[in-house]
Order: sequence, then C-alpha cells, then structure tokens
Amino acid sequence: MIDVFSYVPAIVLLPFFSFLIALGAGKYLPKGGAFGGVAATAGSFLLSLWVLATVAGGGAVNRTIYTWASAGGIGPTDVELSFGILIDPLSALMLVIVTLVALLVHVFSLGYMNDEGETGLPRYYAGLGLFTASMLGFVVADNLLMAFMFFELVGLCSYLLIGFHFREPGPPSAAKKAFLVTRFGDYFFLIGVVAVIGTFGTAQFAGPESFPALADAALNGSGSVAWTPGGVELQTWLTVVGLLILGGVVGKSAQFPLHTWLPDAMEGPTPVSALIHAATMVAAGVYLVARMYGFYALTPTTLAVIAFIGGFTALFAATMGLVKDELKQVLAYSTISQYGYMMLALGAGGYVAAVFHLTTHAFFKALLFLGAGAVIIAMHHNEDMWDMGGLKSEMPVTYVTFLAGSLALAGIFPFAGFWSKDEILYEALVHAPGEPLLFGGYLMGLLAVPVTAFYTFRMVFLTFHGEPRSDTARDPEPVRWNVKGPLAVLGSLAVVTGLINMVPVQKVLGLEGIDLLHRWLDNEWGGIAGLSSHHYADIGPYSSQYIVGGEVATVLVGAAVSLGLALTGLLVAWQLYNVPSPTEHTAKLGGIKDVLYNNYYLDELQVWLAYRTEDVAGGADTFDQGIIDGVVNGVSSVSLIGGDRIRQVQNGVVSQYAALLTLGLVALIVLLGVTGGWFL
Amino acid sequence: MTAVASSIPPEWYLLLAAAVFCVGLFGVLTRRDALYFLMSVELMMNAANINFVAFALYYGDLTGQVFALFVIALAAAEVAIGIGIILVLYRNFGVTDVTVPTEMRW
Repeated sequence: MIDVFSYVPAIVLLPFFSFLIALGAGKYLPKGGAFGGVAATAGSFLLSLWVLATVAGGGAVNRTIYTWASAGGIGPTDVELSFGILIDPLSALMLVIVTLVALLVHVFSLGYMNDEGETGLPRYYAGLGLFTASMLGFVVADNLLMAFMFFELVGLCSYLLIGFHFREPGPPSAAKKAFLVTRFGDYFFLIGVVAVIGTFGTAQFAGPESFPALADAALNGSGSVAWTPGGVELQTWLTVVGLLILGGVVGKSAQFPLHTWLPDAMEGPTPVSALIHAATMVAAGVYLVARMYGFYALTPTTLAVIAFIGGFTALFAATMGLVKDELKQVLAYSTISQYGYMMLALGAGGYVAAVFHLTTHAFFKALLFLGAGAVIIAMHHNEDMWDMGGLKSEMPVTYVTFLAGSLALAGIFPFAGFWSKDEILYEALVHAPGEPLLFGGYLMGLLAVPVTAFYTFRMVFLTFHGEPRSDTARDPEPVRWNVKGPLAVLGSLAVVTGLINMVPVQKVLGLEGIDLLHRWLDNEWGGIAGLSSHHYADIGPYSSQYIVGGEVATVLVGAAVSLGLALTGLLVAWQLYNVPSPTEHTAKLGGIKDVLYNNYYLDELQVWLAYRTEDVAGGADTFDQGIIDGVVNGVSSVSLIGGDRIRQVQNGVVSQYAALLTLGLVALIVLLGVTGGWFL
Repeated sequence: MTAVASSIPPEWYLLLAAAVFCVGLFGVLTRRDALYFLMSVELMMNAANINFVAFALYYGDLTGQVFALFVIALAAAEVAIGIGIILVLYRNFGVTDVTVPTEMRW
C-alpha cells in the first residue's frame, strides 16, 4: 500500500516548482508559464483528493518532517522547532478547496490575463504559484511557528500580486497598505507564537504534547505549564495569548478594525482577488482559529470577543457595501462581511458551522469574483456598475452562474450560502442566552442578512438587468471557454455544496446521517484525537438553550427568520433597481450616504492615528541612531583610532625596528630578572 | 685540549661573548650602511658560537661544537642572501643606507 501522506509535501511543492519555473523560464514558455501553473495546481488538486479519500478511509497523520532547531532549558521538555504535516479531516477538506480554487483561477487567468494581452505574465504566474504554495504549506502546518511562517509568505505574495500593475499609481499603494495593515496584526501574532512556545514549550497543534492539550490539562489541574509571566492567573494568561494570536487573524481575515486593506486590494488583477478572497489569504485567518480551536475553546472571553468582532464586522462591512458603485468593491465588502460571519460562528462555538461557511463561501465567492472578472473583460475593464446593465442576454453563462453565486451569498434557499449562514445564526442563537457579547454578535449578524441580500441583488440588477447604459454594455466583448469553464464548475458547486451539511433538514424531518460535514469533522471516518468537533464542544464554555420551544421549533424559526430577512432585502433591491433605467437611491440616505461612501472615515482615522505616533517613532529613531548606533560606532572608533596610532610604529626604517627589537629583548630580560629574583 | 684552555673558568668566555655581542648590537643600532649591518650581525653570531664552544669545553661533549659548525654554515648562507639583498637595494635606490628605503610602511 502506498503511503499517500508521504506525498503531502508534494502538494505544497508542486505550485512552488511552478513558481520557480515561471520565474526562471517563464518568458521562454508559451503563455508566460501558465501551463506549468495549471499542471501544478491540477496535480496538487488530484493529490488532495487522494488525501481526502484516504482520510475518509480512516487515515490521518501528524508527522514531523524536519527539525531545524532544538534547544533545551525552556520548560519541562526541550523545545524543538520543526516543519511537519498535520492531515486531519479539517486540513484535508481545506487542501481540496484551496487547490480547486487555485486550479480554476489559473485556468481563468488564461482568459483574463493572456487573452487580454497583459505584459509581465511570468511574474504573474510566479506570484500565483508561490501564493498557492504558501497557502497549502499553511494548511498542512503541524505547528504554530510553521503556520506563522507560511502566514507571512501568504502576506508577501498578496503584496506582490496586488501590486502587479506597478506602473499605475493605485496598485503599489494598495499593495503597501495590504502589507502594512496585515503586518500590524501579524506583529501581535508573532508575540503570541513566542508566548505559546514560552508557556508550553511546544507549538504543536495536535497530539498529547500539543499546546491545546497541555492548556486543557493545566486548566483541569492535571498538568502544569512551563511558564507564565509572574503572578498572572493561568486563565487570564491563556486569554491574553489567544487575543494576541487573534491579532494576526483579524489582520489577515480583514476583521474590524484591520479590514481597511481589503477593499483597496481590489487594485490587483481580478483572478488574484478571487484567490485572495475565496481560498488563500483571507481564509487563512479563519482557518487558523479553526486549526487551534482546541485552544480557543478553553477561553470563553476570547470566544466572546471573536463572536462580537465577527458579528460587528458582518454588519459593518455590509452597510458599506450598500452604496459602492464598482462591481469589485461590492464584492470586497461582502467578503469582509462573510468572514465576519465565520468569526461569529467560531466565537459562538459553531466550529462546524464556520468550516461549513468557509467551504461554501470559498466556492461562491470565487465564483462571484470570476464572474465579475468575466463582466470586466466584457466591459473592457470598466468596473462601474452604472455603465453596465442588460448584460444578461449578452452573456448568459456568466449571468446564470453569477446569479447562482449571488443567491448563495444572499442566503436564499436552497443555495449553498443559505445552509451555512443559517447554521451560523442558529449556533449563535442557541448559545447566546447569558452571553451578552455573543447575543450582540448574533443580532448584528441577523441584521446583516437583509443588508447582504440587498447589496448583492442591487449589484446583480445593476449589472445584468435593465437597459444597457453604455456602448460597451450594448456590445460587450465575448469571453472564451477558459472563462466559462471555471464559472460553470463553481456555479454548480455554489448550488450543491449546501448538501454536504443539511442539519436543519435532519433535525426537522428526523433523517439521520445527512449532516455529512458534522460527521466528517467529528472524526467519524478518521482523524486525530483531540481535533474533533465533539472534543471542542466538550471543552467549550457553551450549552444550548432553545428560547422558542424545542430544538425543531428553534431550527424552523431561525431559518424562517433569516430567509425572510434575506428575501426582504432581495425584494427591496428588486423594487428599487430591477427597472429598465435604475437611478441612484443613495440620496435618500442623507448624511449617512457620505459616511458610507467614505467607509466610516476609518482610513482617515488610521492615517490620523499613524501621524499621532510620529513623536514616538521620532523618539525611537533618535534612540536607535543616538544610543544604539552610538555604542556600536563608539566601539568601532576605538579600534579605528587605536589602530591608526599604533600603525605609526611601522615606519619602514629598519634601524628602528632593530632598536625596538632590542628594547623588547631588554625589557623581557629585566622582567624575567625582576620576577626571577636576580636583583634581590 | 690544552691545560690552559680548560683552566680558564667559563665566566670569562661568557663575558667575552657578551662583549662581542654588544659590539655587534651597537653596530646594528648605530650604523646606517647595510654592509656594516651585515658585519655586525656576523659579530653577534660569532658571540653565540663562542658560547657554544665554551660550554662544549666545559661539559666535555661535542654537541656545542657541532652546533657552532652549523652556525658557521648558516652564517655563510646568510651572507650570500644578505649581499643579494644589498645589491637589489643598491640597484633600486642607488644607496646602501637602510634608512632611505622606507617604502614598506603603513
């Protein structure tokens, strides 16, 4: 029997090789190295499917591949820093999602980049390859430090790809912003990693010696941790560590208040946006929380904070999406909002719900972005929705698939997004009583549902319905198979992905066993002990309370409420925008409109805050230049001046050398005489 | 070996050697001509030879004498090289004064 897990590194390395090939030889290859990327991601996808099948057959692995540093003396065990792979149901599922979306994005890029005559294609495909490889490395990481490294690589690749069109003014600035804002969060993450290693002496995710297991044992009193900062209670310290790591998550997954980079990141090529939003960068944050959920479940405060941030971001970003004029901007805010939902689910103890939404969102958001890309091709790179309209008859494939994605995003029955969003709200609802932060998150998440439906269908109606509002919209550029193919695949997935986890149907009809994802993440087919949703529920702080009647009633009421709200939003959008010549209705919002247009002035606030730190930065600079550099320069100048003086001795006159030699000999003899006692 | 030679105590030999050595050293330190240098070095070597031979006599074995022979051979070789150096010195600078060529300095 072949051990499929020894091929797991190949999943990561294949896109990395495509990166090397595109970088080194891309300009000699046809299509700028695109086929290498397609072949590599296809290979990774097939291997991931194989891994998924193996996990379904009961396999799972937690294996250290290479230890690159080890040290004793910290904690009870020696600290080992290593690279390894952790394949369990969660990472196997994520591998398939990432490789599938990456493959489709590569294919789509053939239509979006090559057919549009872009230059610099080797750079583009190299970036895509490295991006995919970094994310895959992050997904299979078996410890927090390795995860952090690949997390940073993902950030680097986003910088490279967002700034792809570096000759225009916008993209480089957006790339820098994405890099700096996420780096601000990663700074806390880095401190968190160090804190975890210092506290537990290990950063492993899984196994009896992993840090979630050690933390659990220490809290139960059946174990202890290696170190906590003096006098701090263990529970408090674990909460602090959890919040530190959450800093990186908030940055990467674009949660309030570090979400500001994501709308600007729309400056990158559209397939890159699809990759960033659906499968790689933004997903990394939520995936990280899911990966170490055994740790977060131990600290109720952290969970409540996660839930509140998530719910707030879901509503907050959705409101900003209401007034945007550009297709990709609307999608950008919807991404922030949807990741808010996932955070809400994680904070509410809905581990499975979060992974479920991560999965469905990966498919329908990749679909929407690629659909937007198709529209942008058709519109000759004009993204303003007010110049579109009537595209539905001109590009039927794009329209139908985009509609499927939009229905999923809006959470309309029976599309994928309905099931996952409903489960998130359900989890938040049943766990909310007695948890004010969680209840606040739930209410905001619920409020965001109609808003989401409204902006989604405002976008659909403005783009595809009504009369064409510009010459390009009357005669759009046709798109080829390499655009339609990925759309068709993702469109089907957006419709059917909900089937993997039909919990409401199971609960209402009493059908057993159709909650496949629940059973999958509960290690029913195989997995690693301590990484199951059951375990997380056991150690988590929540218990379910049904505020309306029993469980079935709660399920039905919850689903009906969220579906009703979504339909309300849809109908309002229908009323306002599904007319032959829609007009802007934003003026009715009055003063709020400007606030929404300017994203609540958060960018301005951040810039203002950055300027406030000028004095601190100046002081640090003075300290660095004056004190730190002063010491270093002082030491070196002592050597320099000393050397300068002493070398004067070597003046080239042989007689003086002889004299010095003699003097030295005499001095030695005198010294020997004094110490030897000749003169006494 | 005569009775006179063995009746002289070794201190006298050592004093003679020290005197010859100091004469050589004085030459090295005060003279500027390279040829005087060479001759002074020769004197210092011979002072060492006197010591070798004196101790060979004092202890009654031949090791010191053998060493003295070695030093004489070495001195011959040294003179050959030294004169070669002085010739090159003269060719390049036109003098044999060792204080003139100060090219090999910092």
